[in-house]
Amino acid sequence: MSRERKVSWIHVVTFAFATAISYVLGVVSSLIFPVLGAPGVSALYVAAAIYVPLGVWMGMWGALAGYVSCFFLGLYPSGYSVIQSAVWSWADFIEALVPAVLFRLAVKDPDFAVRRPKAAKLMPLLVSLGTALLLVGIVVQVLWGAAYGEPFTTIYVYSVYAGLALSVAGILTGLLVGDAKTWGVYVVSVILASVFSGLWGAGTLTIVNFPPPLPKEAFWPVLVGWVIGDLIVLSTIGTALVVALTELFKRTGLYVEGWWA
Amino acid sequence: MPTILSELSGIEARNERYMSLHVLTKLFIPFSIALSILFASDLYSALTLVFVALALIVAAGIPLSSIKRYVVVIGSLTSFIAISLFLFARIPGKVLFEACLVRFEAEKGVFEWKLYITDNAVMYASVFVSRIFAMVLSAMLLLGTITDREIVWGLRSLGLPFGASIAVSLFFRGIRLFVSDFLSIREAMTARGVDFARESLIKKFALYSHALIPLLALMITRSYEVSLALETRGITPQSKAKVVYHRYGFSRLDAALMLLFSVLTSLYALGWMI
Repeated sequence: MSRERKVSWIHVVTFAFATAISYVLGVVSSLIFPVLGAPGVSALYVAAAIYVPLGVWMGMWGALAGYVSCFFLGLYPSGYSVIQSAVWSWADFIEALVPAVLFRLAVKDPDFAVRRPKAAKLMPLLVSLGTALLLVGIVVQVLWGAAYGEPFTTIYVYSVYAGLALSVAGILTGLLVGDAKTWGVYVVSVILASVFSGLWGAGTLTIVNFPPPLPKEAFWPVLVGWVIGDLIVLSTIGTALVVALTELFKRTGLYVEGWWA
Repeated sequence: MPTILSELSGIEARNERYMSLHVLTKLFIPFSIALSILFASDLYSALTLVFVALALIVAAGIPLSSIKRYVVVIGSLTSFIAISLFLFARIPGKVLFEACLVRFEAEKGVFEWKLYITDNAVMYASVFVSRIFAMVLSAMLLLGTITDREIVWGLRSLGLPFGASIAVSLFFRGIRLFVSDFLSIREAMTARGVDFARESLIKKFALYSHALIPLLALMITRSYEVSLALETRGITPQSKAKVVYHRYGFSRLDAALMLLFSVLTSLYALGWMI
């Protein structure tokens, strides 16, 4: 007989407290490591290391914590209007939604035990550097390569090849850290979460919002700052947290197997 | 009753008349300014919104000195907007200043990166900056006049279950709790020989990251305590309040203000369409 899972107070309370922590860390990050000119955007957005792992542990509660903390961060101290903030905050919702979806579809019972610590240390470096190079290459090609050709095309080609090679090496190193399925899904989650949330976040700050607070010319600098910052935070602090706390979440019954319970 | 801005930064709204308005009115006014920003496409309409928001902040009794907290935000946004428009875009118009920063022969023509300032670019930047002022002031008005208790009461009177209103309440309580938890962890690290003042930025980043593990472990412990306390009261997150102990009166002033700000937003929308 299957046990019916229901939302209980522990989910609601943990969500509320995690949102509070994310908000405080979001404020601190955007003040200490700002992407200048884009309030609320941080080159090292430490708050993501709370709600993204929470997406792995608690499914939609993590995504909701990301949305609410980002909404309040948008209002204070960033100073966005209530409508702009409500639209912009979906960036952090998406960021936690990606691992929540991937883990619920692919790995029901993740095992983050580290069997090769050296690989665990190397993986964040390779993934961050690789994806950052890939992104820089694409930006160079879109902004200048298409219009001017050489030497931008060569920069684009080398950046993309090097970035792709490093990212693939990062994913392969990730597979060596421990349980291949868990770590493979985790590395892919980190990359996709950073890119998708960066696209939504930078897009709603510069291109589509009511109205966008920044001019559209600022899209690329904000996107690059956002994605690289998230990659670094998620692959370093996020990884440390999933390794240290996943077992605790499972042991205490806080781990959510479905979407909400 | 402390407002959200007071909880976050100690800034209090002092005007009792404004604070006694219905929570819907206090939500609607900044919301209508925020919506009007969308339609402010020229400098004068954007500046009008700035003055309206400023007048409301004065009327609500929020100290104008609190704008100081947003100076960094406004300054960095302004400089970023100027850099974006003058360095990364070429807005046509009467050229006020032009300087070539990088110039070389590329495959498909000459690549030039210029500092290019035109009268239209300056005007465009001014509209953006004025809208940012209006945006910041509307956010300040919202947070400076709404209390977390009003949000909780609002959610309860809408008939939402306890889960929603308690989550909101715990979020606001949690902010202070975790700031104090974080300071305790920081002190514990200092007691074990960590000198935060002398460490490099990267080392500091690593040290603060380590502090997150005990912080989250404390969060789990605290979540257990609070949720057990709630369970023992026999309520579930899905339960709904049968009794509401506080009712807000909706006065004529509330109706007049809501009408006034609906008209303001409609005028902005009309002006934008024409």
